[in-house]
Amino acid sequence: MPLPRKTAIVLALQTLGFAVLAYAFVRVPARPGVVSRQPLVSQGALAIVPGTVRISAAQLIQGGGDASGLACYACHHQDSPPEVKPGPDNRIELPKEHSDLILSMRNCAECHPPDDPVALNYDANGVVLVPKGHEGLLAMAHGRTFRNNNCYNCHDRGQLDQLHTPDGEKLTFSQATLLCASCHGPTYRDWRAGAHGRTGGYWDRAAGPIKREECTSCHDPHAPAFTGLIPMPGPHLLHPSQGPAAAKPAGNDHGH
Amino acid sequence: MDTDPPPSDGLSRRSFLRTSAVLSAGVAAVAAGLAPLRRLGQFTSVDEFLQKYYKELTPEEMKVVLARIEDEVQRQYGIRPHVRDYKPANGVEFVYALNLTRCVGCRKCVHACVAENNQSRNPEIQYIRVLKMPNDGTFDMDKGDHDYAPKSVPQPGFFFMPVQCHQCKNPPCVKVCPVKATWQEPDGITVIDYNWCIGCRYCEAACPYFARRFNFTAPSIPSDQLNLNMSYLGNRPRYKGVMEKCHFCTQRTRAGRYPACVEVCPTGSRKFGNILDPDSEVSYILRNKRVLVLKAELGTLPRFFYYFDV
Repeated sequence: MPLPRKTAIVLALQTLGFAVLAYAFVRVPARPGVVSRQPLVSQGALAIVPGTVRISAAQLIQGGGDASGLACYACHHQDSPPEVKPGPDNRIELPKEHSDLILSMRNCAECHPPDDPVALNYDANGVVLVPKGHEGLLAMAHGRTFRNNNCYNCHDRGQLDQLHTPDGEKLTFSQATLLCASCHGPTYRDWRAGAHGRTGGYWDRAAGPIKREECTSCHDPHAPAFTGLIPMPGPHLLHPSQGPAAAKPAGNDHGH
Repeated sequence: MDTDPPPSDGLSRRSFLRTSAVLSAGVAAVAAGLAPLRRLGQFTSVDEFLQKYYKELTPEEMKVVLARIEDEVQRQYGIRPHVRDYKPANGVEFVYALNLTRCVGCRKCVHACVAENNQSRNPEIQYIRVLKMPNDGTFDMDKGDHDYAPKSVPQPGFFFMPVQCHQCKNPPCVKVCPVKATWQEPDGITVIDYNWCIGCRYCEAACPYFARRFNFTAPSIPSDQLNLNMSYLGNRPRYKGVMEKCHFCTQRTRAGRYPACVEVCPTGSRKFGNILDPDSEVSYILRNKRVLVLKAELGTLPRFFYYFDV
């Protein structure tokens, strides 16, 4: 029995509508939830990127880098060695032309990522202006007493890039770790066993080399104590506030 | 024709329209009701739904599974990762040692871990929790503060104690899992099969170190920050509704490398190695240093030791 024409049309339209609905249900992708793509931490702030471990004078020489700035007597005369002037607070006052020499001994990149390097400012006399948070940076502060704040305890009197132990054993810059060991025996023992100091690379010696650091890679021999680090953001920063001070990546905070 | 349709037809225009309206409304209601299912996005294929238990997969089946996961990640993030199934090595048992004398609480390990292990950025999931503890001889985790944000660390009067999965030899989390989706491997790492986990969170409740994290929603990771070196039991992207936790960076450590947190630690507080090797640094530490086990009274026998220099 044929259906009435109108009924047939409605039936056909509804079938079509259902087919469209079914197609849309299967094919149209679900809308993803809105998520913020803003990373909480600047990726440059992580020390995994190469170049964050600073190059010490010893490593520079070992690696065959340009160490001409370290040969003091290329310019200074042997008989009148350069005078090291400690200012107030035991801080060595550096001439401007030697700023890179000393400052390169700090791992600035631990806090200042390579894409945001540190700019140095000088006062009228050419002395580096040390930011407030970094006042320990150029201090001569080896040990809690000030008995070891004498240059020639470690450096040779006539040749500053020559080192010597208290026993009088001559050492080069690349052997600086042995100089440290001459006083810090237990720490040196731990370091040799791998229990002290930063490690990287391979724990499995068969799979690849372990990456070790020398003493002066992490410690400034003139002020070996760590000066402190800016902590990276803590947990639960689900909705970082928009204020300029809040939720700023730690790596970009110069701390002054 | 002006005659009415025969009454015996049973299908008047009115009744047809009524029935079809009710029917189409019903279909629409069912479709609307099912719509949230499409957002799950989890069981993208029948293969995935029918995937066998990890330990029952043959190497050939594993190859298919890994390729499927690579496809999924590529579809979602637009980059093809390299997913591998790293197996534990013979004669290797991993142990972790953390120097509480040296740790300054800078949290670099936390964020290196997030980057290495493809943890969700929003909502935030972090395997490592650094506790600022009062320096009064206590190791009570409840006295720790994880929200500290001073201008500079360390802080006098406090010490910092990072806590993560302790990879226990007697793991309570493994015991409570009703579907055996988490188990201890021969090299000491307790792993999770994210495809087998049902998300009941029993393990989270059982862990005395608060080491397990739950994906309450689908994790979100910016594609350009995805770590493409992935392992099946490790850092491949997780699903909504599954547990995850520290797995000692299986994708690194089972290839002989150090975990990301060890490499990033600027103070060298974090030590890692094979305890079965007498020359490893962890063997030296356990032989020569004062060592602390957190919540030792629970008998979980962690493979994560805290030690002191002095």
